[in-house]
Amino acid sequence: MSLINFLNWLQHTWWAVGIKESDFVFPLIEGSHILSLSFSVGMVMILDMRLLRISFRSQPVSLLMGQLMPWTMTGFAVMLLTGFLLFAAQAVKVYGNTFFRIKMVLMLLAGLNALYYQVRYYPKMAEWERTKTPLGVRIIAVLSLILWIGVIACGRTTAYEL
Amino acid sequence: MFQTFIDHFVQWCYYSKDYAFIRDTPYGVPFVQSMHLTGIALLLGTILALNLRLLGIGFKRMSLPYLAEQLWVWTKAGMVLTIVSGIMVFLPDPTRYAHNGPFRLKMVLLCLALAYQFAVFRRVVRTDPESRSKARSVAFSALSLCLWFGVAWSGRAIAFFQ
Repeated sequence: MSLINFLNWLQHTWWAVGIKESDFVFPLIEGSHILSLSFSVGMVMILDMRLLRISFRSQPVSLLMGQLMPWTMTGFAVMLLTGFLLFAAQAVKVYGNTFFRIKMVLMLLAGLNALYYQVRYYPKMAEWERTKTPLGVRIIAVLSLILWIGVIACGRTTAYEL
Repeated sequence: MFQTFIDHFVQWCYYSKDYAFIRDTPYGVPFVQSMHLTGIALLLGTILALNLRLLGIGFKRMSLPYLAEQLWVWTKAGMVLTIVSGIMVFLPDPTRYAHNGPFRLKMVLLCLALAYQFAVFRRVVRTDPESRSKARSVAFSALSLCLWFGVAWSGRAIAFFQ
């Protein structure tokens, strides 16, 4: 089965059709998708501010990170689920949308950026988290802010173009 | 009289060509709306973090006054970004919004949320929640969350009640 056939099948499942045709469910899912930004990207921004040493300077990074992570992960779980449902409702059309494709690439880059932080800097956090932040970490924080704002912008524009 | 005032204001916006450039620029509207959403992530994200601490379900290893002090500049930044971009969404297209029920509700809730934020909530988060009864903290938090997320949801509803 080709990808387009799969997407076509997906958007004709009973639940995808139900979402698309419902006057209330679609706006509710879309609203939840947007408002969970406060959990996901909002919390990521707070961490980036700490990595850039703009806020929470007196607190070790690991302490703030540990407290942010459960909420960030909850937020991303809701975003992923609601995002998938919104995608399924109009799968073929969304798949062909340029801004949606850019959004997926930016999300992948944001994920790789976070992964690089976890592999390269997280294990050695005790060495730097109370003093000066390594240049690499500051670059990661700036990239994170740029990529996530880009994801928001491409998401908004995807909906505008549909 | 209030109605006439709104009508005059809408006409003034509509005939002053200064704001039309946003509508006429390709992707001008989604660009401004993306700024609005980025502001929302920052504004609601920081307010959410404070409320999680106030409710005693998150950020427990930091004191509420410290969290409030560190986040306040970002809450303000989020407010400025959201309000400025919101005005830029409204001005080029006033007729779409001025007579829209959810938009009017949003403006009322926004005024209430701002008044509550500056007159009450700011003072609440400057004192330790342990010095108050749990019920009072929950009440302060519930009001904050209902007002701010009420603003956001009524904003989302604008698009669905044309």
